[in-house]
Amino acid sequence: MNNILIYLVIVPLATAFLIPFVDIFSNKARKILVGFSALLEFSIGIYIIISNYGEITEHTFFLKYYLGNWIPPIGITLSMDMLSLFFSTLISVSLLFIITYSIGFIGHHEGKYYVLLFLIWAAMHGIILTGDIFNLDVFLELMLITSAPLVAFKRNRNGTEAAIKYMFFGAIGGLFIFIGVILVYFNLGTLNFADIAQSFSLLPLFSKKMIIIFFLIGIFIKLGIFPFHFWLSKAHSACPSSISALLSGVIVKVYIYVFIRLFFNVFGFDILRETGLDIIIIVIALTSSILGHVLALSENDIKRMLAYSTVANLGIIVAVLTLNTKLAILAGLLHVMAHLLMKVSLFTATGYLLQFTPSHKLQDLKGVAYKNIILFAGFTLTAAGMIGLPPMIGFASKWHILQAFLDRSFHWGSIIVILGTIIAFFYYIKYIIYGFKTISIGPPERFRLILSVFYRERVVTNIAILFAIAVVVVGVFFKLSYGPIEGAANAVMNPSIYIESILGG
Amino acid sequence: MINHIVFIFIFLLGFYAILVKKSLIKMVIGLNIMEGAIFYWFIAITDRGGIIPIVQSTQVAFNLNDPIPQALILTGIVIGASTSAFLLTLIIELNKFTDSTNPDQLGGIIED
Amino acid sequence: MSRLKHISIVIILAFLGLIMLLDLNKIPNQFEYANSIYHHITNNAVGETGSLNFVTAILYDYRAYDSMGESTIIFGAVSGIVLLLSRKTLPVSSHGLSFIVKRTYGMLTPFIFLFSVYIIAHGHLSPGGGFQGGVILGAISIIFSIVYGSEFDYKRYTPTTKTLLETSGALLFIGIGLIGIIYSGSFLSNLNILNSEPGSLLSAGSIPFINLGIGFKIGAGLAIIFYSMIQKTFKEEASL
Repeated sequence: MNNILIYLVIVPLATAFLIPFVDIFSNKARKILVGFSALLEFSIGIYIIISNYGEITEHTFFLKYYLGNWIPPIGITLSMDMLSLFFSTLISVSLLFIITYSIGFIGHHEGKYYVLLFLIWAAMHGIILTGDIFNLDVFLELMLITSAPLVAFKRNRNGTEAAIKYMFFGAIGGLFIFIGVILVYFNLGTLNFADIAQSFSLLPLFSKKMIIIFFLIGIFIKLGIFPFHFWLSKAHSACPSSISALLSGVIVKVYIYVFIRLFFNVFGFDILRETGLDIIIIVIALTSSILGHVLALSENDIKRMLAYSTVANLGIIVAVLTLNTKLAILAGLLHVMAHLLMKVSLFTATGYLLQFTPSHKLQDLKGVAYKNIILFAGFTLTAAGMIGLPPMIGFASKWHILQAFLDRSFHWGSIIVILGTIIAFFYYIKYIIYGFKTISIGPPERFRLILSVFYRERVVTNIAILFAIAVVVVGVFFKLSYGPIEGAANAVMNPSIYIESILGG
Repeated sequence: MINHIVFIFIFLLGFYAILVKKSLIKMVIGLNIMEGAIFYWFIAITDRGGIIPIVQSTQVAFNLNDPIPQALILTGIVIGASTSAFLLTLIIELNKFTDSTNPDQLGGIIED
Repeated sequence: MSRLKHISIVIILAFLGLIMLLDLNKIPNQFEYANSIYHHITNNAVGETGSLNFVTAILYDYRAYDSMGESTIIFGAVSGIVLLLSRKTLPVSSHGLSFIVKRTYGMLTPFIFLFSVYIIAHGHLSPGGGFQGGVILGAISIIFSIVYGSEFDYKRYTPTTKTLLETSGALLFIGIGLIGIIYSGSFLSNLNILNSEPGSLLSAGSIPFINLGIGFKIGAGLAIIFYSMIQKTFKEEASL
């Protein structure tokens, strides 16, 4: 048994508990602690990859951990397969850079800010590693309750309203998931993922249907898929840009992970197919996608536009994953990575640019490109990736998604992907053109600073440019990421491997 | 049967409060009613007609009630309490800006 | 218009309830699960954990990781509330109740404290535990502000003291978990040190210590939430 897994949760958790302790004595010690812990957590992930490199390349990688030495199904089991590893790596990389970005970006209430950020990190790793359905619920609530204060971080009216909405819908979604957990326990008498997966197919059909529907509603509320999309744009745009990047880029991906793990490995995809729910999910998700694109087009506020674009992309990811072919899951996971990189890049760049404008409105972005031309070039490249132009990672993932839809001869899906690409072109090009517009009238005082100080300007710009470079570089060499993603897709497609690895010795 | 009826009635009562009431604090109370309904239901349906799961000595007791739902509900209560505490904080904050707790000022909880 | 909306909502909800009822009724009562954890825990919990209270055995031993997440949720909520409501104004509101109430409460306080410590320490023997006892601890602090006026508790136990108590409770929990790694190779495993036969106070391995950590953490956390929330009222009264 390998103790390394538990440290992925313990290190950020202990850091969060230590920060208020250290904060009393010295500000500087807290900064050192934050940086050190972020690096430590990141290097634990790297250590796992290096020490199991051979198994990862052969796609047989599997780590498990019995908490308190209780063998499943009695206690709680942690496990890490290729799918968890893929998500864990994405989270660690993006959070390390988001924390570095925050050091330059956030200048007040830093103590509590980093406490909450590290708690979110711990919660995300808890969700990804856990092998217990109630533990999953606990960590989902932890992630909700620690991200809501950050939504209201600006302490203005808009942020507070957004946080209230975020909290209400998150809590209601959590209740639905809790009802699902209760039904699972009532019907099966167990809470362990592998144990549930083993005996779930023996249940009568209506029990299975009820459990599935409660979990589906809960996850869709938290993901912001079509009938529940209304809270997402406000919550994702009212906070500081570093938090927008976290919410829109990383946290929604954790919900995608929960969706994959529950419906492909634990409950099994057969139940969705038996009840005909898979077609319904695809239709709902595609509706969500096209609606997100249309709402983004009609939006005049750059951060809300980016948030609606998240709704659109999440719809596409859920739809393509539900096709349940190997190519489709590969495409879905590739788009998870692509969307994460591009959204974080766009939000970090936007956070810098918005420091020079009086508001988030399109008209105020006039001429903002000349403030930092390199960064704006990165913004333009990433936006092009979001649209789906060739050298960027967005092209690769969209190409695979199109192929996956055509492969299942699901033509409506491919039409919506292409239509979405066209709409996306129009709303991104609008902002880029405005950014390059020179100001013909008015003195240069037009650009009055909202936040009077830049805490560390160079850190902010460098991180934003770094993500833009990552979008291009990963896009060019995206074939290298085939190996791990294929392993993750294998783990998704073969739930029996997961069951046997946990229960069998 | 009666457990399901009571659960659904209380649960939907809480949901009704969230949909209809014109005060955010009442909506938080509605959320708590929904949670309470779920906790009641979980205990009720897993009842085995046994004794409480605490024994007096080390001898093995038989026909105990299931202790796992109780442990899970204890966790659920704490989660619910933290959620409502934080929601109330946000309502206090909102009241500072607008001097009201009407949910319509959020641009309608459904729209926007 | 409004009445029509109400009636339609009621009708929709009634319809929803009927569907849910019909579906829930179809679920069979399966009490004898095939491989239930119920049987394992009710048969072996006393022997394996040393706790006579099965709920405590599950909360702090079999599923101690859940309790860690749960106490972290309280910690996260406290951090968020302090972040949103932190103000520098010193709370001055009421100056408390009459002399008789102050004296009486002064005499009662040690006993309330003893009661809370009793509930925390006997969590593995009788109903109770860290969460329940911690709430009573928090209540002491809240009653202080009602009886003696809000300044009293705030000055004696400053937010810094409470934060220290809270974080040290949380760190105690994690520390016990980490000792478990050294001692028996797994996080949060039950330490079989300081163990006597089940039924005595110092039994059940690390369960009483985890209870103690959680108790102080919850008590301090609830007090912090209360004082953060009433701070706003003080500011308003000062401006009037």
